[in-house]
Amino acid sequence: MQKLLFLVVVSTALILGQPTVSPTPQQAGTVRGDNVGDYNITTSFETGYRFYTVDGNGGMYRSNVNLRNGIRLLGGSVTMNSKDGKGRYFDEINLSLQGLGSDPYQSVFLRMQKNRIYRYDFLWRTSDYFNPAPSVSNGRHFLDTARQLQDHDVTFFPQSKYRLFFGYSRNLQEGPGLSTVQYFDSRGDEFTLFANIHRLRNEYRLGAQAEFFGFGLNVLHGWENYSEVQTELLNSPSPGANPNDRVSLNSLQRIAPYQGSTPYWRASLIRNVGKIFQANGHFTYSKGQRDFTLAETADGISRNGAAANRQITLSGTGNRPAATGNVTLSLLPSDTLTITNHTSIYNIRISGDSTYREFNGGIANLALLSFQYLGIQTWSNQSDVSYRISKWIAAYGGYQHSDRRIRSIQYRDLDPAKGLVPDEQTNKLDAGLFGLRFQPAKRFRFSIDSEVGRTDHPIYPISEKNYHSISGRAQWKTNRLTVASSYKTNYNFNSNALTAFGSRGRNASLNAVVAPTSWFNLDAGYSKIHLDTLSGLAYFQSGQLVTGNRSAYLSNIHAINISARLTLKKRVDIFGGFNRVQDVGDDGPSSGTSIANTLINQIDSAAFATFQTFPLRFSSPQARISVRLRQKLRANCGYQYYGYNEKWITLQDYNAHTGYVSLTWAF
Amino acid sequence: MTATIHKLKRLFTICLLLRMADGQERPNVIPTKSLPEGYVGNVVCRGCHPDVWQTFYKNPHYKSVAAGLSPETSGCEGCHGPAKKHVEAKGGKSTIRAFSILPAKAALNTCLTCHAKDINRHNIQRSGHTQANIACNTCHSIHKATTPKALLSAKQSELCVTCHASVKAQFAMPFKHRGNEGFMQCTDCHNPHGAAATVTRMSVRQRMMEHSQGNEQACIKCHADKRGPFAFEHVAVRVDGCEACHSPHGSMNAKLLRRPTTFTLCLECHNGANGFGRSTTGIPTQTASHNMADPRYQSCTTCHVRIHGSNTDPLFLR
Repeated sequence: MQKLLFLVVVSTALILGQPTVSPTPQQAGTVRGDNVGDYNITTSFETGYRFYTVDGNGGMYRSNVNLRNGIRLLGGSVTMNSKDGKGRYFDEINLSLQGLGSDPYQSVFLRMQKNRIYRYDFLWRTSDYFNPAPSVSNGRHFLDTARQLQDHDVTFFPQSKYRLFFGYSRNLQEGPGLSTVQYFDSRGDEFTLFANIHRLRNEYRLGAQAEFFGFGLNVLHGWENYSEVQTELLNSPSPGANPNDRVSLNSLQRIAPYQGSTPYWRASLIRNVGKIFQANGHFTYSKGQRDFTLAETADGISRNGAAANRQITLSGTGNRPAATGNVTLSLLPSDTLTITNHTSIYNIRISGDSTYREFNGGIANLALLSFQYLGIQTWSNQSDVSYRISKWIAAYGGYQHSDRRIRSIQYRDLDPAKGLVPDEQTNKLDAGLFGLRFQPAKRFRFSIDSEVGRTDHPIYPISEKNYHSISGRAQWKTNRLTVASSYKTNYNFNSNALTAFGSRGRNASLNAVVAPTSWFNLDAGYSKIHLDTLSGLAYFQSGQLVTGNRSAYLSNIHAINISARLTLKKRVDIFGGFNRVQDVGDDGPSSGTSIANTLINQIDSAAFATFQTFPLRFSSPQARISVRLRQKLRANCGYQYYGYNEKWITLQDYNAHTGYVSLTWAF
Repeated sequence: MTATIHKLKRLFTICLLLRMADGQERPNVIPTKSLPEGYVGNVVCRGCHPDVWQTFYKNPHYKSVAAGLSPETSGCEGCHGPAKKHVEAKGGKSTIRAFSILPAKAALNTCLTCHAKDINRHNIQRSGHTQANIACNTCHSIHKATTPKALLSAKQSELCVTCHASVKAQFAMPFKHRGNEGFMQCTDCHNPHGAAATVTRMSVRQRMMEHSQGNEQACIKCHADKRGPFAFEHVAVRVDGCEACHSPHGSMNAKLLRRPTTFTLCLECHNGANGFGRSTTGIPTQTASHNMADPRYQSCTTCHVRIHGSNTDPLFLR
């Protein structure tokens, strides 16, 4: 009984530090469950009412948290297990669910299986996504969509040497949104459009696995179908985003169907059972194709004050076949030595054409055939050696060489063909790895890892060129105390004759979990995440090209979490926690200034050299109490506060109070 | 005499447990006479470990017992090895394969005896976790699991951050993927058993990224609208991957961008610096009509709305 109690305590203690206050982790009923016929059944459901109030920016609250009022099935689980492993139709049913009844994040997981015959996994989840997006388009791109995902996987003869797989996945995103369009020319105004979003992805999978002569062969064939019908409208006259601009739109209708399929193959040959030598290969090929059309009609006033209308029709196809191969060879000459070699090849080709016709004032005046080809080919080989020097110390080292080639062709306008000169760029990476593992005592271990890499031709100014990464990790772990700390630093320097990019990232964290008794636990942690980058800029200001300036970004994020759980008389569980993450910027006086003003001033003074910072504070204390009324009934209530405070656009700040009351019951 | 009393006590305990089990006696136990050398069978194990046995039929590993496989590949001794010495010594971790004291590699090899054939573990020998001496039982708890599906010692959102504490801080940010809320899990994007080499970025790191459809970034499993193919792709997405612009765990930006403002993110690449880009002549700068002193031009995606890829316009305008 004591061990059963220990099981319950451990399972709840491990949920310490849970950032969301609900659902309540404690379950009703007994761990052992009830015997019904040939099965053992456990059940636990939590039903309750959720409430919230927001003081401040409700849009930002919905973007961050999005909990609303209403009755919910906050959580639940059902397990059924056959007692002899020989049930007639099934041996196990495992159902778990969360947030049903209009919570923004809902999920249902079901596993049903009969030993040696079949296994069926079902995962359904939905997420309400709300984003006012002021930081990407001044709030003119808005999304209020629901994304619904479901995955079905059936395996026949899961313990056999011959298995069959069937799968189906569905991904649906629907809802209203806002987008923008610029009219009537490249210097025209921007107009907000209503967008009706409907995106549907279906994927079907069929596969098999067979084992023979110590090898396993796994083959999977899948078909992915995607369709998107996005309608964008402007039904009433709009002056646009800039009042000084004379351009206006009376109406705009755009419909752009986009659909296609991606059949793919995956084959794997596995030999992981050998004592000395193991090998596996993994090969995939996918062929993606999408067809699209677009029809757009708009009328309004052009920049020179004249009435204007435009019709656009467009059609075309995009293709992207992709082939990859991975081969891993592992040599294990002794228990202390492992040598692996991994080779991977990645080959992708993207091509597409688009026939564009434009009518202005009813007169055809623009016809284009645009074409783009992009090919990326990467070859990589890596060798690792891992050696246990003694019982308490081990070392590993490795070397990787990667070679990437990018080829590109693109042109606009067929007659005459322009820009047909192909571009080609290659990049080689040489990287070394080294690490040490120490375990001087049974309870204590620490490790050091490092990686140094050099590339000769990164494709972007911010890509990794001369980089190194060093990390360390230490952990002390006993049954009652776990203390873990880690430190990681990433440096990258990417420069050429005209510009330089440097980034330094440093993460440090310390976390402790104390469980001195079965009725009290404490979890506390602190992390600091530092990032500073410096990069060269070139931009236009009032028609003049400005070069030689830099963009400097600095982020210093401090995150703290502390939580405690107390169990009184094995009946009452009390949980309290505090979570806070804060970007303090440069820790100096400028952290208090408006970043927007800072940036504009920097532009005006033609210098980005002053650090850009983004001071922000997000806090979330919480408390919860759960009381066992009877063996199969618990009463719970919880409260969680969310406080969002930024120094950029203070109108986005909010304070939110959320809570719930619920009953957890079993039958 | 003491030994005899001890044997009698053990026999009594076994009988009592069989009775208490109320029909839970397993008919699949191989008779003692057919046991291989050194093996004793599950019956003997449950005598001293009744707490484990009582609920073991709920454990996925019970399948092997129900299937009537030999003790070498099923039940207690299938994982813990032959128990005869352990029984004769009246217990002790040194007389049996006790995972709590087993070196990481030995624990891994024991589990791989059965689990090696699973395709998502085909790179486990070279995974970062294996190199860091993280064995299976570091994350999986066979007898005290809190998640029935994968027998994890804690639910994923809590388990992984036990070591990856800085990631925990990233998921505490106001904008993040909904891992803490239970909508998704770390394994939706990562393969903790070791994934194939990354296909987008060239460096050694990030080996734990799971691929969609075997060869594409994990992000597009959910963000299918960003997958394409498009007639005109934003090359950064395909060459350096989504992380070139996004911080997937959490960010201070509503779109999980790596910078709080859009134009600084864009301008850091689009600076025309020679040597970069497909043509090595630099990533193009904006045209002269873009007056960056005007806030109107500081939200690049207001006009370049299809920044992940467009079928209409190479400049991603519609």
